[in-house]
Amino acid sequence: MAINKNNWTYCDGEGRLDRPAPKINRRQLLTGAATLIASGVWWASPKTALSQAYIRSDKTNGNILISLFLRGGADGLNIVAPYAEDDYYRLRPSLGIASPKSRKPENQRLTDLDGFFGINPALLPLISDYKEGNLAFVHAVGSGDQSHSHFEAMSTMELGLNNQSERVSGGWLARHLNSTPERQAPLRAISFTSTMPDRVSGAHGALAINSLAEYNLQNEDKIFLEQLGKIYERGDTEVAEAGRDILKVLKILNQNDPKGYQPGSGANYPNSELGRAFKETAFLIKNDVGLEICCLDSVGWDSHITQGNTDGWLYELLSDVSKSIAAFRADLGKEMNRVIICVQTEFGRRVGENSGLGTDHGAGSCMMLLGNSVNGGKVYADWPGLVPDKLSGPGDLAITTDYRTILTEVTEKHLQNLQTNTIFPNLPQHQSLQLIAK
Amino acid sequence: MKLSRREAIALAGVTAGAAALTGCNTVANYTYGVTREPIIPPDPKDNEAVAMLNRFGFGPNNDSIKELHQLGRKEWIERQLNPSEKLPAHLVARLERLEINHLGPWDLRDWKEDAIIAQMQQASILRATYSPWQLQERMVDFWTNHFNIFAKKGLAVYRKPWDERNVIRQHALGKFPEMIMASAKSTAMLLYLDQQNSTASHPNENYGRELLELHTLGVNGGYNQQDVMEVARCFTGWSEERGFLKKKGAFLFIPEIHDKKEKTVLGHKIPAGRGVEDGEDVVKIVSLHPGTANHITSKLCEYFLGNKNHPIQPKLAEEFISSEGDIKSVMRLILNTYPNGQQPVIKRPLDFIVSALRSTDAATDAAGPVQQALANMGQPLYLWPMPDGFPTETSAWTSSLLARWNFVSRLTSNDFKGTKIDPNRMIKNDENLDGVAIAFRRPATSQDLKQLSKSISHPDLAAQIALALSSPEFQWR
Repeated sequence: MAINKNNWTYCDGEGRLDRPAPKINRRQLLTGAATLIASGVWWASPKTALSQAYIRSDKTNGNILISLFLRGGADGLNIVAPYAEDDYYRLRPSLGIASPKSRKPENQRLTDLDGFFGINPALLPLISDYKEGNLAFVHAVGSGDQSHSHFEAMSTMELGLNNQSERVSGGWLARHLNSTPERQAPLRAISFTSTMPDRVSGAHGALAINSLAEYNLQNEDKIFLEQLGKIYERGDTEVAEAGRDILKVLKILNQNDPKGYQPGSGANYPNSELGRAFKETAFLIKNDVGLEICCLDSVGWDSHITQGNTDGWLYELLSDVSKSIAAFRADLGKEMNRVIICVQTEFGRRVGENSGLGTDHGAGSCMMLLGNSVNGGKVYADWPGLVPDKLSGPGDLAITTDYRTILTEVTEKHLQNLQTNTIFPNLPQHQSLQLIAK
Repeated sequence: MKLSRREAIALAGVTAGAAALTGCNTVANYTYGVTREPIIPPDPKDNEAVAMLNRFGFGPNNDSIKELHQLGRKEWIERQLNPSEKLPAHLVARLERLEINHLGPWDLRDWKEDAIIAQMQQASILRATYSPWQLQERMVDFWTNHFNIFAKKGLAVYRKPWDERNVIRQHALGKFPEMIMASAKSTAMLLYLDQQNSTASHPNENYGRELLELHTLGVNGGYNQQDVMEVARCFTGWSEERGFLKKKGAFLFIPEIHDKKEKTVLGHKIPAGRGVEDGEDVVKIVSLHPGTANHITSKLCEYFLGNKNHPIQPKLAEEFISSEGDIKSVMRLILNTYPNGQQPVIKRPLDFIVSALRSTDAATDAAGPVQQALANMGQPLYLWPMPDGFPTETSAWTSSLLARWNFVSRLTSNDFKGTKIDPNRMIKNDENLDGVAIAFRRPATSQDLKQLSKSISHPDLAAQIALALSSPEFQWR
C-alpha cells in the first residue's frame, strides 16, 4: 500500500475531523439504498412493441390501504410528545421539545393535541386532518419482541407476530391478499421499494417497483418481447411467476403513462423518494388499476446520534412524511374516501437521551392512522407513564397496546377481510379501539 | 496485489492525469482482447464443473472451465482455497488506476464521496468478472455483506477501502477470530455503528449489539440485553485518530473515555482497571462461541448450499470450533458436500451481471453504466443502509427481473459505453452454438435447457443470448 506522506498534514488545524460530515448524508439516509436506483435515466420511447398488446384493467373502486413503515425505530416520544410529564423533560434535557405553553413560535415547540400530548412541528401540515377528525395517533404501541434488534422487530411486525418464536409463512399483508383470491386485479399490491418488504412477501402478484416512471422495457424488438413472453409462459418458480406479473404490468403502464401525471388540486409533493412514491401511488389509484395494498418505506430513523428536536435529523424525516401525506390527500380529493394510511415503526427509542444527543433502541412508539373513515382527532393511549418504575427494560416506554389490534381493525373494517385469525394467528382476545368507523 | 507500482507505471503511469488513465483502460481492453478465445463448445462432461463455478464462483467462462477440467475437482478446490496474488495483466492494469487501492483513509479525504464509491464498485465488479480466484471473490461477497458498512454514513466512505483490503480480503479465507478483531478495529465499522460516540458515562450500544447479533452469535445465539450493554461498556474508548498532524481515520483507543469498572460478558468476568484489553477479550469470547459457530456455518450453508439447515451444518459448526474458526477448513467441507442436498440459490444482481459478463466474454471497464445497471436492480454495492447486508431471499429479488432484461438487452446490442461483446467471435469454434449454449455454457440439449432452447428461435444470435440470459433458468446460481 502506498501512503502519500506529503499529504497527511492536511487538516483543519484544530484537531477536529478534517472534513465536516457532509450535510447531504441525512437526505441520503432518508432515501437509503434507493438514491442511486432512482437516477436511472434511460427508457424506451412510449411507442415500444408493448403498445401493440393492449389489455383492459379491471375497475374495482374497493378500499385501499397504504402501509408506510418508518425503518430504524422512529422516536415516538418526539413525534407525539407527552409534554405534561415532567419526566419527559427530565430524561431529555437536550432533545425534549418545548411545551405548547412555552412562548416560542409554533415551529419551535409542540402543538397541543389534547392537553397531555403535543405533536412535533414537523407534523403541522397534518394538523388540519387531526382537527377535522381524520387523523388518529395510538401511543405506547409495539410488539412482544424483546430483542431490541431492528431486523427481529421489523420482521416480527411485518409477519404479523408477537415475537419471533412463532412461525408463519409470508407477511401479514400477503396472508390477507392470498386469503382473498376472488379479488384478482392486475396491480393489486405494489411496494415502492427496490426489494420486496416482508409484509407482502409471499403474496401472489405483488410487485416491488422503485419508480413507475422508469418502468419500461428497453428493447424495441417485437420478436424479443414475443419470445420473452413465451419463455415466461411456463414454470412455477418464484422467478417465472414474477416474470409473468411484470409483463402484465408493463402492458398496463404502456397505456397509462405515469411520466405525464399531473397531480390534482395543486398538490405539492416534496422532491424526495417518499414524495415521489406517494405521487405514483396517487397516479395508480386515479387510473384504477385495481390497487388495494401499497407498501411504502421511509428509512433512516435510527437516530443514535444528533437526532435534533425542532430541526435536524428526525424533523427532516418527519417533515418528509407529513408533506408527502398532505400532498397525497390533496391530490386524491374525493378518492381519499377509499384510503387509509397506516404509519408504523418497529420500535420506539429509549426515553433518556444518550451522550451523542441521540437515543438508543427502545420499546413503545406511536402509530398513525389517517383516512376519512378514521375516528381521528384523538390520541389513543393506555398511557404507562415515564416515571422510572413504569419504564420497561433498560429504560423504555412500556408497551400497552399490541400493534396487531390496530392492524386487525384495519383488516376487518377497511380491507373487509374477517379472516384475521389466520392473518394474526396468535393474537389474544381483545377490545377493539374503535379507531375506524364501520 | 504484488505487481502493483512497477507494472502500472510501465503500462501508463498512474499518477499522470486523465489522458493517461483513459490510455490505461484502452491498454487493458487491448490486453484482454488479444487473450480472448472463441468459446469452447460445451461438453456434457463439464456440467458439474459449470455448476461448481456458478455456486462457488461468479459463473463459468472459458478459463475457469478449462482450469477445472484440467485440474479435476479435488485439486481445483485446493487451489481455489489457497489463492495467490497473481492476477491477469489486464485486470492488474484496470485495478491499478483506482486510487482506493493505494491510499489510506487519511489520503482519500480530498476525493468526492461518490468517486470513492464508484471506484469501490468498479473494483468489485472487475475482480468478480476477471479474477481467476473465483472462490475468493465469492467469499469477499459473503463477508462484505456479513460485515456490511453503508458507505454514505458520515465519513465511513473514506474508511471503507481500507476495511475492504484489511478486513474483508485479508481474512476472507483466513481465521474468523482474526477477522472479527480486524473488523472491530476498522474505523469504517466503528463510524458506521456509532462507536466513536460511546463513552463511559454514555455507552452507545449500536456496535456492541450488531457485533453479537449479526457478526458473531446471531440473534438466538444466547445473549441478552444485559450482555449488549456490558459489551458496549467494554468497547468504550474504541475510536479513531483525529489529532492534529495525525493520520486521521486510523484506529485509536482513548483511555479517558473508557469504562474501567468491572463487567460481565456472557458469563465471563472482565476485570476492572484495564484498557483496550476489555474489547479485545470480548472479541476472543464471542468469535469462538458455540452460538457463533452455528450462526456463521448456517449462513454459509444458506449462501453456498441454499439451505441454512443443511444436514452438514452441525458438522461444520464442530469444524469451526475445533479449527479455531478456520474459514478454509469449513469451506473445504462445504465444497466437498456440494451438490449433495443443495437447493437453488437466486442470483443477486451482482451475481447476475457478472455471470452474464463472464459467459459472454465481455470486455468491460465496470464503470458508470454497469454500476447504474446494478443500482437499477436494487444492489448498489456498499450502499445497503442497514448492517445486515443485501437480502438473500428469492422473494427480495424477483422484482428486479425487468432491470435484468434491460441490462442484457443493452449488453447484447453493445449499447453500454466501456463494455463490449462479440458474438461472432464466440462461435468461431462451432457455428452451431446457439444463445442458450453460450449463456449457460452447457449443451442446449441438456434436459433442463431443452424446452428453453426450443422457445428461443430468434434469428439474431445476440438476441438469442439476450433471451437466454433473461430466462427464468439463468436467474439461479
